[in-house]
Amino acid sequence: MMAGRVLDLALHLLDRQIIDTDGNPVGNVDDVEIDESGYVEALLVGPQAVAGRLGGRLGEWLAFWTRVLQGGTEPTRIPVDLLTDLGSHITVARSRTELGAHRNEDRAREYLIGRIPGGRREGE
Amino acid sequence: MKRLLQVFLGVLTAIGGFVDIGDLVANALVGARFGMSLAWVVLVGVVGICLFAEMSGRVAAVTGRGTFDLVRERLGVRAGLLNLVASMLVTFLTLAAELGGVALAIELATSVNYLLFVPLVAFLVWFVIWRMPFEHMERAFGLLGLALVVFAVAFWKLGPDWGSMLHQASHPAVPDGEGHPTYWYYAIALFGAAMTPYEVFFFSSGAVEEGWTKKDLMIERINVYLGFPLGGLLSIAIAGCTWLVFMPAGVEVDHLDQVALPVALAAGKVGLAFVIVGFVAATFGAALETGLSTGYSIAQYLGWSWGKSVAPVRAARFHAVVLVAIVLGAMLILTTVDPIMVTEYSIVFSAVALPLTYFPILVVANDPGYMGEAVNSRLTNALGTAYLGLLTVVSLAAIPLMVATKAGQ
Amino acid sequence: MRGSDVIGLPVLGRGGRVLGKVLDVRLVQDGPLRGAYAALRVDALVVGRHTVAAHLGYDRARVNGPWLVNAVVNALTRGNGLLPWDEAEIADGVVRCERDALDPVPPI
Repeated sequence: MMAGRVLDLALHLLDRQIIDTDGNPVGNVDDVEIDESGYVEALLVGPQAVAGRLGGRLGEWLAFWTRVLQGGTEPTRIPVDLLTDLGSHITVARSRTELGAHRNEDRAREYLIGRIPGGRREGE
Repeated sequence: MKRLLQVFLGVLTAIGGFVDIGDLVANALVGARFGMSLAWVVLVGVVGICLFAEMSGRVAAVTGRGTFDLVRERLGVRAGLLNLVASMLVTFLTLAAELGGVALAIELATSVNYLLFVPLVAFLVWFVIWRMPFEHMERAFGLLGLALVVFAVAFWKLGPDWGSMLHQASHPAVPDGEGHPTYWYYAIALFGAAMTPYEVFFFSSGAVEEGWTKKDLMIERINVYLGFPLGGLLSIAIAGCTWLVFMPAGVEVDHLDQVALPVALAAGKVGLAFVIVGFVAATFGAALETGLSTGYSIAQYLGWSWGKSVAPVRAARFHAVVLVAIVLGAMLILTTVDPIMVTEYSIVFSAVALPLTYFPILVVANDPGYMGEAVNSRLTNALGTAYLGLLTVVSLAAIPLMVATKAGQ
Repeated sequence: MRGSDVIGLPVLGRGGRVLGKVLDVRLVQDGPLRGAYAALRVDALVVGRHTVAAHLGYDRARVNGPWLVNAVVNALTRGNGLLPWDEAEIADGVVRCERDALDPVPPI
């Protein structure tokens, strides 16, 4: 059997930055989904996933505030099929809008930042 | 030629941007009570900040990631969270102190109570972050901060006994009337003021904002190695001024107008005008940096989009945090707590948080997977390890000393 | 199951003796093709006592400096061991196996 590349989850995958196909940052690998046969199915991104990593009361607290301030209980899910690079950062084959990573900005955008004059312009 | 101008402006910006309310207060206070006997601490602090600013800038240029991104990656989620909370608290306290500092500086100019200016200052700080392009912001306030050079001028004009000054600086001794614990407490405070954590977050996040690459590293190093030491000399000049004016009279410095007095004595109204401009620029600039840094740290830890160079609606959570931090900071100052006291607490707590901040940078700067050939040299590592040891000792001693001396009484 | 559900769990060997905690999960990229890469398969658990040293990269990756940090972390991680995934049974928040001791962890 051909030997495959070896990597460690926490050392090489978790907390690494994810870059989308346009070169923009998507977020960090906050957790991974593993199926029953022991294969990594998806990367999980978002404070909801960080809450799972923290565990205990701390994690519940973060999950609560994320629900209140952002809405949603499920992190952004990136299937493993979309990975194109596993180096010091992870590259995926979609743009971040397609991945839905930006829906997390929704509440802050709608209720606060979007209402301030100049909020919807380009950055500088 | 254009390159040279860029380097020149970069160094000037670094000098003018070095001093903030913490350095002003710490050096002025120390000068009046301890003369030049603590000048060596500023030197040690400057070497330290040069070392770690260069490292974090290099890491940001090569990896494209800010400090807090890497903190979580290297320490793990839980230790990283502890780091985040501690750093955010200290940076927030510093932000409040800077807002108070701007208001106090305006009071100096107008003789109107500083509290009335706090809401206006908070709004202006937020507005500049909201609208002013990053590079212009840095440059403008850095160059205006150069007005503080008037302290060096005033020091010269006040005619110090250079021989005695050099002797005091090179033979540090606890002056009569001061205890050893107090001496070391102020040493830690001065050190914390020189090496504040937010400087490194801001520096590395700024490097990512401005899109630094390996090609910019040479300029970055010149800015750091020339600008910061000269900024450190400026801090010593501030201590020198209060030493010459207040120490013979046995007066302690605890108000901002006292800090300006030596300049007024030596350089008259013109000097005073420069001082006020310098105070406002230095504290306002630092308020911008600390405000942005609270956003940078939490956004990088949680993986949000961040930065001024990103369209605000795309980094809505980042901007929301910055806004909330500024509002809360202003509210803290509006409780009429003494801004000078807030400053003192912020620099001592900075000293406590230092090892947490610098350790992950040291580790990442050594990772060939990230840095390739730009990993630390042996010398950098030797210095880095020595400083990490020093920072740990300082961090452990800070609170006990604060309690033992009742915050330096 | 999530990665975070496994990392941090205590590991008990034969007779309930404590072998340590799950510090990391070793993955091998030799599964069927998924997109551009072969699938990542869980191969073993890295077990040890000191969690903080686990992410720094001194024991299993190529980070080597500064010397002092390297020495300290290597001392802390010397006792780490590898538990093959097919020998691990996860139930009630504990990982159980029938081992007295674990093989040392080969660096990557």
